[in-house]
Amino acid sequence: MVTCTGCALLCEDIEVVLENGGIKESRNACRRGAARFRGCKNRLAPSVDKKQTDIDTAIKKAAEILKNAKSLMLFGWSNSTCEAQAKGIQLAKKLNAAIDDTSSFCQGLLIERVLQKKFRTCSLEDVRNRADVLVYWGSDAQDSQPRHLSRFSVFPRGESRQRGYEEDRLAIAIDVRESNTAKICKGHFYRIPLKGDREFILALMEALVGKVPKYDAKRMLELAGIMKKAEFGVIFAGIGLTYSIKDDIDILVSLADMLPNFHVMPMVGHYNMRGFNEALFKETGFVNRVKFGVKPVHDNKYAVVEALKSKSIDALLITGSDPLSSLPRSILSHLASIPVICIDPCVTLTSKIAAVTIPAAASGLECGGSAVRMDGKVIEISKVVENSYLTDAQILTRLMEGL
Amino acid sequence: MGMDVGKFMKNPEYEIKLTTHRDIFQVEALEYDRFGDEYKKHSAVVVMGKDDMNKFGLKTGDRVRLMNSFGSIVVELRESKREEPGGLAFMVNSPWSNALVSDETGGRGIPEFKNINAKISRTKDEITTIESLIDR
Repeated sequence: MVTCTGCALLCEDIEVVLENGGIKESRNACRRGAARFRGCKNRLAPSVDKKQTDIDTAIKKAAEILKNAKSLMLFGWSNSTCEAQAKGIQLAKKLNAAIDDTSSFCQGLLIERVLQKKFRTCSLEDVRNRADVLVYWGSDAQDSQPRHLSRFSVFPRGESRQRGYEEDRLAIAIDVRESNTAKICKGHFYRIPLKGDREFILALMEALVGKVPKYDAKRMLELAGIMKKAEFGVIFAGIGLTYSIKDDIDILVSLADMLPNFHVMPMVGHYNMRGFNEALFKETGFVNRVKFGVKPVHDNKYAVVEALKSKSIDALLITGSDPLSSLPRSILSHLASIPVICIDPCVTLTSKIAAVTIPAAASGLECGGSAVRMDGKVIEISKVVENSYLTDAQILTRLMEGL
Repeated sequence: MGMDVGKFMKNPEYEIKLTTHRDIFQVEALEYDRFGDEYKKHSAVVVMGKDDMNKFGLKTGDRVRLMNSFGSIVVELRESKREEPGGLAFMVNSPWSNALVSDETGGRGIPEFKNINAKISRTKDEITTIESLIDR
C-alpha cells in the first residue's frame, strides 16, 4: 500500500503494480490520483536562460540569483513534503527572504483560524465514525477531493453511523452551482447567488435564534432546524465559500460559535498545503506571507499576488507550483522582468519563462517523506519507484550550500 | 450559393457574469500534460444555461470571444446539462479563465477568481492557445 499525493486526502490504500521499474497500474485511486501515479508527459530538464544544461550548473546559477537578490521571495510549497518545506523556511531565514505559499490565495484564511483554534475542528476519522450532518459549502469534493464522500463522509459505515447515508447521515450542499457533490445531496441543495454566502450566513444566524430570516425564510428555517438537531455536524468549507467571504471571514467563526455541535474543516486541494501552513505557523505564528529579517514580519504585501502586482520583488524561487497557470494574467507581467527559478518534476507554464529550471523527484512516486492531511493528521508518503532525480529537499540543501 | 451576410456584420456583444469551478477530467488532463489537447478541450470552454443561450442567440459548439479590460480569449460554448437559474456562466479554473480575472484585490492578496464580468460574442476566430497565454 502506498500513499497518493493527488490531493490533501492523502489516501493510504493505493496499490501499485510495477513493471520494468515504472508504475504499470494503480488501484483504488480516484481519477485524479491515478493520473498522478501515471505521471506527466513532459519531464523538466535542467536549464539556464532557456538552454539545457546539467543539474550542477543549474543549481550553481540558481544560488547566484538567490545571493544577488535584494528582495527575494520563495513561493510554492504545497506540492512538497514537510521535509522540503522545512528546508524552504530555513533557506528563507538564511536569506532574509519573503516566503509565501499557494494558501495565500486559497484556503490560508481558514487554516489560520483552525490553527488559532477559532473553529472547532475534527479528524476525518471522527467524520467517518460520528458525523450525522455533512455540509458541503462552496465545495465540490467530488471533483476536487474525489474520495472524500466515499472514504469519510457520506457513504461509509462508522462506529456510530452503522446505517450510513440511507438513515444515519444527511448531506447538504450550499453552492452557486449545482456541482457533482450537490447532485448527491438530493433535496438538500441550497443554491445561492454569486457572492451570496455572507447574506446566507446572516439569514441562517437569524433562523438559528428563532427569528424569521429575510432570505428564503422557509428553507432557511428548515436548514437551521437540521443543523440545530445535529449530534455531530461538519461544515466542509470549500474555496467557493472562502473566496466569497474573504473580506469578512470571521462571520464563519460567528456562525460556528452558534452551532456547538458543529465542526469546520477547510477543504484543501494540494496535498501538503496544510503542512506548510503548520510549519510556518510553528516558526512565526503566521501561516503564510512572512518576510524574515531581524524578526519575521507578516504583511499582506508579502502575499505573492501583491508582491507581483506591486513589482516589489527582484527574484522568485518557485517550488512545485505554476503561478503562470494559477494566477490572473493581469498581475503577472512582473514575472517576465525578474529571474525566476523553477523547481518542479514537470514542464509547466512557469518553467517555460524561468531563468533557471531544476528538475525534481515527484513526491509520492519518486521520493517519500511526510505530509499533513487536510484535517491535520501527519501521513507518511512513500517512494514507489527508483530514480535518480534529486528531491526538493536535496535541491534546497544544495542551494543553501552554494550560497 | 448565397452570400454570407453575417460575416460583414459585427457580432452582438452581451454582458455576462462568469464563475469558475474544478473539474476532475480537467485535473486529470492537467496532471498529464498542461500543453496537451485534452487539457485545452476541458479548459477553453464556457458553459451556459439554455435560456441564456437562446436569449443571446448562441448555440452549443459556437466559438465565443470572452472579453473585458483584463483580457480576451476565444473558447467553445456548451450548453449546461443542468437547470440553470440564468445570468451566470461557468468555466473550469485554468489559464483561460485566469486571463479574465481582475487585478483588483483591495491589497488583500486574493483575486476574484470566481467573480468575473465579461462580454460574450460569437466569433470565427480560433480557440485561444495556451502558448499565447504565456506570451506577454
